[in-house]
Amino acid sequence: MADDRHAPKLDDEFNDDDLFASAIEIKVEAKADISLEDDRSNGLSPIEEQSHNLSAADEIDLNSDSEYKDGVPDTKAKIELRSEPEDIFEDIPEPKEVHRETMAGRSTLETLVTSPRTQSCNAYHAGTMIEDEKVITAESDGKFITISVKDPQKIGDGISSFLTYNVVTHTNIGLFKKTEMTVSRRFSDFLGLHDKLAEKYLHKGRLVPAPPEKNVVGTTKVKMAGGQTEHEGKLPEFVERRRAALERYLIRIAIHPIFQVDPDFREFLECEDELPRASNTSALSGAGVLRLFNRMGETVTKIAFKMGESDPWFEERHQQLETLESQFRRLQASLEGLYSHRRELAFATAALGKGLALLSNGEDHAGLSRALAKMAELHDKLEGVHNDQSNADFYILHELIKDYLSLLGVVKDVFHERVKAFQTWQHAQQMLAKKREAVDRWEATGRSDKVAPAKDEVLEWEAKVNRSQEEFDVISKAIKKELELFDLQRVKDFKAAFISYLEAQMKAQDKIIEHWETYMPEAKAIA
Amino acid sequence: MENSNNHLDVEKKSERSETVDLNDNTLQVDISDALSEREKVKFTVHTKTTLKDFAKQDFSVVRQHEEFIWLHDRFEENESYAGYIIPPPPPRPDFDSSREKLQKLGEGEGSMTAEEFKKMKQELEAEYLATFKKTVAMHEVFLCRLANHPIFRADTNFRVFLEYEQDLSVRGKNKKEKLETFLRSFSKTTDEILLGSTQKDVDEFFDKEKSFLLDYHSLLKDATVRADKMTKAHKDVADHYIKISSCLLEMATADTNQLERFATKTADIFEKARKIENRVSTDEDLKLSDTLRYYMRDTTAAKNLLYRRLRCLADYEGANRALEKARAKNKDVHAAEWSQHQACEKFEQMSAKGKEELIDFKVRRVAAIKKNLVELCELELKHANVTTPFTFSLKSF
Repeated sequence: MADDRHAPKLDDEFNDDDLFASAIEIKVEAKADISLEDDRSNGLSPIEEQSHNLSAADEIDLNSDSEYKDGVPDTKAKIELRSEPEDIFEDIPEPKEVHRETMAGRSTLETLVTSPRTQSCNAYHAGTMIEDEKVITAESDGKFITISVKDPQKIGDGISSFLTYNVVTHTNIGLFKKTEMTVSRRFSDFLGLHDKLAEKYLHKGRLVPAPPEKNVVGTTKVKMAGGQTEHEGKLPEFVERRRAALERYLIRIAIHPIFQVDPDFREFLECEDELPRASNTSALSGAGVLRLFNRMGETVTKIAFKMGESDPWFEERHQQLETLESQFRRLQASLEGLYSHRRELAFATAALGKGLALLSNGEDHAGLSRALAKMAELHDKLEGVHNDQSNADFYILHELIKDYLSLLGVVKDVFHERVKAFQTWQHAQQMLAKKREAVDRWEATGRSDKVAPAKDEVLEWEAKVNRSQEEFDVISKAIKKELELFDLQRVKDFKAAFISYLEAQMKAQDKIIEHWETYMPEAKAIA
Repeated sequence: MENSNNHLDVEKKSERSETVDLNDNTLQVDISDALSEREKVKFTVHTKTTLKDFAKQDFSVVRQHEEFIWLHDRFEENESYAGYIIPPPPPRPDFDSSREKLQKLGEGEGSMTAEEFKKMKQELEAEYLATFKKTVAMHEVFLCRLANHPIFRADTNFRVFLEYEQDLSVRGKNKKEKLETFLRSFSKTTDEILLGSTQKDVDEFFDKEKSFLLDYHSLLKDATVRADKMTKAHKDVADHYIKISSCLLEMATADTNQLERFATKTADIFEKARKIENRVSTDEDLKLSDTLRYYMRDTTAAKNLLYRRLRCLADYEGANRALEKARAKNKDVHAAEWSQHQACEKFEQMSAKGKEELIDFKVRRVAAIKKNLVELCELELKHANVTTPFTFSLKSF
């Protein structure tokens, strides 16, 4: 097995061939499927090709989490296929069965190729893949993945206690070991996941969704609160918000075609044991301090370096995003205002209810007294309705806007990465020019001993220039694609959020109607 | 009260005439017009009458708020009306809060978009208008009650108020007079409390009434305050809708894709929702808070009646004692007798009238509150039913 690790060239070979670049796993089944369906008349040639692919695929698989080798039938099949190409036919039914549901109705390679199950660990492949495929979300082709975060629970007591959440996943994506899984995760695990993804993808221009913020006050409150029993069902509001935010965070990752199949993400969802403590996400750790310094340095560069923008698309987009951000901020402020006022309204209604109850007690006219008492009850109910409405205000709209503000922050970061790539490129170019000058200088002075190493340096820097230029191009393309995805997602999210908000409003109104209707006969009945 | 020129007036009248006898239309009073000038509001009091005592059948005069208060004070001071509940005076027209808000809006103009500013200004103007209408209504109710009361309507001061075309030259109390009034009211309150605790009432009815009214008054006050808070909160919510709707509209214009139409529609919905919320809040204000407030004031008037009566009783008993003393000393018996007799008569009269008034008050109150609650109910339902289709229409989008 280890032998096959050293075949990077094999990958490059297939780089040009888009069709077969990375969704190689699929290719195996696909080809297997087709060959089976087509009466196995395709002959061995595709299969021979397959063997090359298979080793590459195998290699890629090995590069990914080795933990899954035993569990995943794909790998098993591949391993066998690799060693005995002739037995492919026998082994094909296995993978076919496993993925039967996913293959249903598909007969052309193209659809297979454009399936979102691209291998993500090899980013280059991913980059080239996305160029050609249509941007497809997780719901296409009958594939789905639903994630929910539930049951926040406090483990332990005192300062060392923490909250865990159950992450429940339902999916029919084949890469996962099972179709349904539940694991228990704590907040730092989520942050750890973000760090891993950011490390891998941010500098390639991918938008890695931002996790929910840390909340020192809230966390300490939860830690310091008494025993578990008194917490049951009474966890502070901030926990509910965090739970909802974590859920949205995971769903956003799952929708992204690349992140969806990322091995780290999969491990996060699947691994039943506790994940290794992502202790470098803590604010006070060494890594945390390092992060802080990095942040500061980056902010300085952001201000100092003005990139000569060659691509008008980016200029335009940047502008647009700036306006969007300011609009979001305004919207967020007004939503907060709305939320707090509605809370006030609920309080005032409750207070009025109490006042009316007192009044009804003091009223000696029996009929009026009863009517007033009923009105007091009515207002209590109305308070409940208003409270619910304000919750809807908050959870649906406000959190959405907050998420998008943080996403816009990520977009800005990604833009900045591009600027950094540009910087590297420019720097490399400058160095190249300098080295070339050095070569010329040495040649002019006739120092042939210095010329050779200088020429080597020139070559080195030429390579660097090419590489960084490529990286820059890659990141630019990636950003473009990502922003398209982002836009689509944004439209969808907003529509969904507003519709659900308005539905909640409707329900609230219905309740109000109901309450007033029950009250009406009481009012009329005053003798 | 039925055949009024102004449709709005008819509405108002039917709202506020409560259970007063509407069939007696020999004297109809209403406020046909009102002009707001800077600090003052000028009401045009219009009278239509078939009574012979008046010079004309149909006439109008212009009155200011102070003159209403003057009229009320005249009634209050009049001893012969001691046994009646004097209708509470209308509150001073208060545009301060509106003016403040307008000022604040003007200052904050830079921070919001032109549309937002326009909308908020509209809101404020509507609020101003509503306050204005309310104060007109209050003044009218006061006059109508006087006009409908069989005894009060014949009062000369009232007639003067209605007829005298010149300014009544009632100046607002200057500092000295204000101080006087304040001291007087202070002593009155202490007297009241003292009497309330020491004076035993012979009549159980009045005793009960007294404790009831005291309680009731404070409860009403409490409820009014809370109702006001609720109305204000409602208004704030409605105001915020404006901001959100304008934000959305902005986003819509900036967005180039399909979100635009959606956002515009949503912005529209928020707009409408805002208007409705606002209307709900003003209605609530009108029906609930105002009713509570009015009856709070009415209760105060009833309390005043009781106080007067109690005072009268105290006087009566004082006169009794004086008479006994006089009899014992056999001096000035006749004078003492006579004053005692006077006090007795006064007291009895007052008790009888007072009883009637209080019973009437109760009936009136119950009916009015009932009517307002029913109307409140209906309005709330109407509004809630209107909002639903709006939000529904968006779903289909």
